[in-house]
Amino acid sequence: MAYFIFVFSGIIIYIALANLLHLQFGLTGIVNFGVVGFWGLGMYGTTVLIVQYDLPFLVAVVLASLLTAVLSLILGWLVLDLDSQSIIVATLAFSTIIFYLVTTEKWLTKGVVGIGTVSFPFDVGRRTDLVYLAFLMIFTAVSMWYSWKLKQAPYGRLLLAIQDNEPLARGLGKATSREKLIFFTATSGMMGLMGALHAPVNQFLTPTLIGPGVTFTVWIALILGGKKHVLGGLIGVFVTVGLFDLLIETYVPLPTNFTILVPNIKLMLYGLMLILILMFRPLGILGDR
Amino acid sequence: MATTKIVLKNIRKSFGGRTVVDIDNLTLGAHPIEGLIGPNGAGKTTLMSLITRKLSADQGQILYLPANGAKVDITHNSLDEVARMGLVRTNQIIQDFESLTIRDSLLLSLSTPHFDKFYRIFGTQKLAQSVNDEIDFYLDYFPFENPNGHALSAGEKKLLDIIRCLMLKPKFLLMDEPTAGLPYDLTQSVMALMQKKAVEDGLTILIVEHDLDLIWEVCDFVHFLAEGQLMTQGTPEEIRKNQMVAEKYMGVSHV
Amino acid sequence: MSILSDALIIGLIDAAPLVLAAMGFTLIYYLNGFINVAYAENITLGAYFAVIFNSWLGLNFFIAIIPAALLTGLLSLLTYQIVFRPAFNRGVSGAEAIILSIGLSFFLRYAAILIFSNDPLVMDVGFTSYLRIFGQGITSTQIVALSLVVVFSGSLYYLIYRTGYGEKIRGLANNSELAMVSGINPNQVSVQVWFLAGIAGGLAGMFFGVFSLVTPRVGWNQILIVTMISIVGGVGSVRGALLTGIGAGILTAAVTLLTKPLYAQVILLLFFIIVLRFKKGRS
Repeated sequence: MAYFIFVFSGIIIYIALANLLHLQFGLTGIVNFGVVGFWGLGMYGTTVLIVQYDLPFLVAVVLASLLTAVLSLILGWLVLDLDSQSIIVATLAFSTIIFYLVTTEKWLTKGVVGIGTVSFPFDVGRRTDLVYLAFLMIFTAVSMWYSWKLKQAPYGRLLLAIQDNEPLARGLGKATSREKLIFFTATSGMMGLMGALHAPVNQFLTPTLIGPGVTFTVWIALILGGKKHVLGGLIGVFVTVGLFDLLIETYVPLPTNFTILVPNIKLMLYGLMLILILMFRPLGILGDR
Repeated sequence: MATTKIVLKNIRKSFGGRTVVDIDNLTLGAHPIEGLIGPNGAGKTTLMSLITRKLSADQGQILYLPANGAKVDITHNSLDEVARMGLVRTNQIIQDFESLTIRDSLLLSLSTPHFDKFYRIFGTQKLAQSVNDEIDFYLDYFPFENPNGHALSAGEKKLLDIIRCLMLKPKFLLMDEPTAGLPYDLTQSVMALMQKKAVEDGLTILIVEHDLDLIWEVCDFVHFLAEGQLMTQGTPEEIRKNQMVAEKYMGVSHV
Repeated sequence: MSILSDALIIGLIDAAPLVLAAMGFTLIYYLNGFINVAYAENITLGAYFAVIFNSWLGLNFFIAIIPAALLTGLLSLLTYQIVFRPAFNRGVSGAEAIILSIGLSFFLRYAAILIFSNDPLVMDVGFTSYLRIFGQGITSTQIVALSLVVVFSGSLYYLIYRTGYGEKIRGLANNSELAMVSGINPNQVSVQVWFLAGIAGGLAGMFFGVFSLVTPRVGWNQILIVTMISIVGGVGSVRGALLTGIGAGILTAAVTLLTKPLYAQVILLLFFIIVLRFKKGRS
C-alpha cells in the first residue's frame, strides 16, 4: 500500500508537470527541455532549506519555488526570443547545469551520498501519505482546471497566437516577448513548486533523481496524450508511467533478473513510442480538440 | 478633421550593400487617404516595414504625429509598441493564426492589456459580450462562408487581416496591397469601408497598390517611389499625367 | 609547468575527439538544418563497436577502429533511411524533428544498455609508452589518437572546402532546389553525408572511450557540448565547429586544472548559453 501511494504520488506530480508543459509547449510553443531542472531545483531547494537550515516546510517550499522562478526569468530573458533549437539546447543545458551543481556542491546537497529526510508537513497518523496524495491530487486538478479556463480566456488566445505567428501578433500590438517571459517564469516557477511538493514524497534525495529521464518522461507523456489537449498530459502519463511503474512493476510477477531490466526497457520503448507518434500521429491520442 | 502624419527624415536602408530605401524627407498622411506607388523593387514594402518598425533603418529618424498634436519619435520603438500607439499595417502576404477561429482571431485583436493577463481567467465573457456587436457588424458586412469557423480561402484570410487591424482602432493604417487576390466586388466593399472609416473615425490611410485604377479612384494624394527614392508626389491627376512616372512604370514592368 | 601550457596540451587532447564529433554533427546540421540528438548514440555505439572488435575479438585497437568506424557509418545511414528521411517526407520539421531525434536517442541508448549493460568496459590498446611534453605526461596512444584525429578532421575539412564534392554538399545545403536543377542527386548526397558523419561520430566515441571508459552515456554526456559547439561555431560551418571545439577543449582543461571537471562543464554551458543569446540577437 505504501509503495502504491508512493508511485501514485509520483504519477500525480508527472501529470502536473505534463500539464505545465502543455501550457508552455502545446499552447505557447516554448520547447522547454529542461523540465527536470526546474522541478529538481524546487525539490532540492526545499530539501536543503529544511535539512540544512531548519526552515519550516511552508517557508522552504515558497523560497525554493521563488528561486526557481527567478532563475527561469533569467534563462527566459536569455533565450526565449531565439529559435526553437536554441531554446531546446539552452533549457537542456540549464537542467544539466543544475544536475552538475547538485553533484558537486556537497556542502549544500551532500552530493551523491544523498540528503534527507523531509517529512510530511502534517501528521494525521498512519495514512499521512494518503492524505498528502489527496492534497497533491486536488492541487493538480486545480492546475488542470486553470489550463482549461485559460484556453477560453483572452490570454489563452494570445498564447496560441504567439505559437502560430508571433510577428503577426506583435503587429496587433501584443508585447509577445514580455508575455512569453512572464508566462515562462510563472509556469517554470510552478514546475519548481511541484518539485518542492514532491520532496516529502521522496523524503531522501540523490542526484540520480534529477536525470534527463524525468524531462523525457514528461515529454513522451504529453506528446503521446496530445500536446494541444488539456487532458493530453493526464492520459499520456497513465499510458506511460502508469502502465510501467504502477501496473507492470507492482502487479505483474516478473523473474527477478528481468525486473532490473524493466526501467531500461521502459525508456527504450518510450523512445520508440515518441518516434512513432511524431511520424504517424503528431497530435497524440486525443488530437486537436 | 486633422490627419495623423508620419515624417521620415534621412531614412536609409540597405541589404547586403544594395540600398533599398533612401529618402531625405517625406511626410505621409497629410491627406486622409494617400497612395504609395512605384514599380517592383521600388522599396515600398521595405518602407512600410521601416515605418511599422518591423525593420530598423540604418540611419535616419521617423516621427509620428497623431491628430491630437503630439509628436513622437518612433525611430527606436518596437513593432508592438507602435501598433499600440495606433500605427498599424495590413499584410501583403497572407498571414493568419491557424489555431484561432475567425471570432477568436477578432477577440484577440480586441483584447486589451487589461484582459491579456495570465491570471485573468474569470470575467472573460464580459469582453466577448461588450464587443459582440462590433464583430457581428464586420462578419455581416463581409461574406464569410462560415463566420463561426476558421477563415478558409486566401481571400477570407486577407479580409480577416484587414478587419483585425480595424479592430485595433488605429489612427494610421498602412495597407500593403490590400486588394491583391480579392474579387472586384469585395475590393469595392473594402474601399467603401475604408473611405467611411477615414471620414467618420478620422483614420488616416496609406495604400500601396499595383492596381493603379484603384489608387486614382480612392486616393487624395499619391507618392511615387522608384529605386528606393521619392521621385515625385501630387494629386492622382498630376501623377497620372506625369511623364516620368509613366516611363518608370513602362521601363520596369511593361517591357 | 604553468597552468597555461598544461591546459593547452590537455585541452588539445581532450578537444580532439570533441572536434571530430562536432564536425560530423555539423555536417548533418548543415545539410538537414536540424539538431540530431541521436548523434549521441552514434558516438556511444562507435565506442561499443570498437570494444567488440578490440576487446572481444582481440584485434589491435588501431585496426579495430576501421571496421568499427564503418559500422557506425552504416548505423548513421540506417537511422537516416529508416527514421529521418521518412519523417522529413511526412513533414516533420523544426522542433518536432529535434524531439524525434531525442526519441531515437533514448531508444538507441537503452537498447545499448540492454545489450552491453551499464557496466563500464575498457579497451585494450596494448603496449603504451609514456612521454613527457612540457612536463605533461602523455601516452603514446594519445599521441597516435591525436594525430589520427588531425588527419581525419583535416581530410574532412579538405573534402568540404576544397573539393568539387564539398561544393555539391554546400550547394545542396544552401539551396536544394537549385542543386537539384544542376543535376545533384540530393538523396545520394544525403546518404553519403550521413555515412561520413557517422564515421566521424563513431571515431570520436572510440577516442572518448579509449581515453577513459566505455559506458552507455559516453555520447549523451558529450552531445550537449557538441551541439553548443556546432551552433556557436556558426550553423553549418565545419570550420567554426573546428575552432570552437578546440577552444572549448582548452577552456575545459584550464577550468578543470583550477577547480573540478564538472565546474568546467558548468562554465562551458553557461558561456555557450550567453553566447547564443548575444550572437543570434533578438528576433
